[in-house]
Amino acid sequence: MAKINQVVIIFSYFRLIKSTAALTQDQEKSFVKLVNENQGLIHKVCILYETDKEARNDLFQEIVLQLWKSFPTFRGEAKITTWMYRIALNTAISGLRKLGRKIKTEELEEFHFNISDNTEDNFEENFQKLQWAIRQLSEIERAMIMMALDEVPYDEIAENIGITQNNVRVRMNRIREKIRTLIR
Amino acid sequence: MEELDDLKQIWKSHEQGYEPKKESEIALMLQGRSNSIIGKIKRNVWFELIFTIACSIALLVYAFTLEPGAMMWTIISLLILFAAYLFYYVKKLILLGSFDPSDGNIKTSLEHLYRKLTIYINFYRKSYAVLYPVYFFLGIFFGALETGIDGFLDKMREPKTVVLLVAFAGAFFVFTFVITNLYLRKLYGNHLMKLKELLNELKG
Repeated sequence: MAKINQVVIIFSYFRLIKSTAALTQDQEKSFVKLVNENQGLIHKVCILYETDKEARNDLFQEIVLQLWKSFPTFRGEAKITTWMYRIALNTAISGLRKLGRKIKTEELEEFHFNISDNTEDNFEENFQKLQWAIRQLSEIERAMIMMALDEVPYDEIAENIGITQNNVRVRMNRIREKIRTLIR
Repeated sequence: MEELDDLKQIWKSHEQGYEPKKESEIALMLQGRSNSIIGKIKRNVWFELIFTIACSIALLVYAFTLEPGAMMWTIISLLILFAAYLFYYVKKLILLGSFDPSDGNIKTSLEHLYRKLTIYINFYRKSYAVLYPVYFFLGIFFGALETGIDGFLDKMREPKTVVLLVAFAGAFFVFTFVITNLYLRKLYGNHLMKLKELLNELKG
């Protein structure tokens, strides 16, 4: 009887291990799908925090790894984009990647002229100028303007950064002023 | 023109302006290793831990082949030191393992990372501050065993030997302290400085 019990216990363990593995596979699939659907957000963070292609790819992978690491603790209480913003920006800002990649100063001269009208031909050029201007801001300011441009409400920006809504308003005014000066 | 709504319009014009990754590429990324500072330190500590275990096993095997004497005691002392190192590495890994970038907003994460790195560096510095004197006194002790305890004690009664030993100890401690600090500053100094600047900006 005892032997039968042991066999049953071993069999249950085996089933448990099998179902856990299946769950992990399912989790991985749903995670990959989730990242695939929202990868634009990660690409934007990479564009604003790294200049060359290789560094952007490294940062992209680092963000995906950090997202995967914290995926089991994501309970869906927050919006998926809020969670992704938080981890992507934390990874990009908190120096969890290689230090020392600075924006080359020779790049600065290139866009010292006005943003053109938003005709379709000029959209790409205007985007490049805007991107350049944002890269001149501090890393915290970059995070804030990026969220603002992505229509994230001020209360969510405040929550993600860890400052008050009033502080967000004041800082956003300063950031807008800086961008205005940069692309004038 | 450069008001927020215009900027949003420009920003959105580039929604698909990146090279999208395929699902298979994203899945492959999950197999990669982290380039984060915490990830790198963890890998270094794991390497040191495995290296220490390998050296301990090799020394233990060698110790069994020796006759009782100074050499055998030296190796046994080293093995005891290595055992202490194992706790040291495990403590380091526990400290590093407690950092999770998802557990708060950017400010909290930065504060957390700054605190964790500072604790880690202080632990590193303190452990070496303890270990170097241990190495020093072990060196003297084995020197005494080699030359004979009586001869060694006679030597220690000479003021010249005492002065030389004190001078050497001072130089040894200063040198190791400076080297440890330089090493830590080179490895983590920039990161700590950057984290401090970011935190100041958020508080300002």
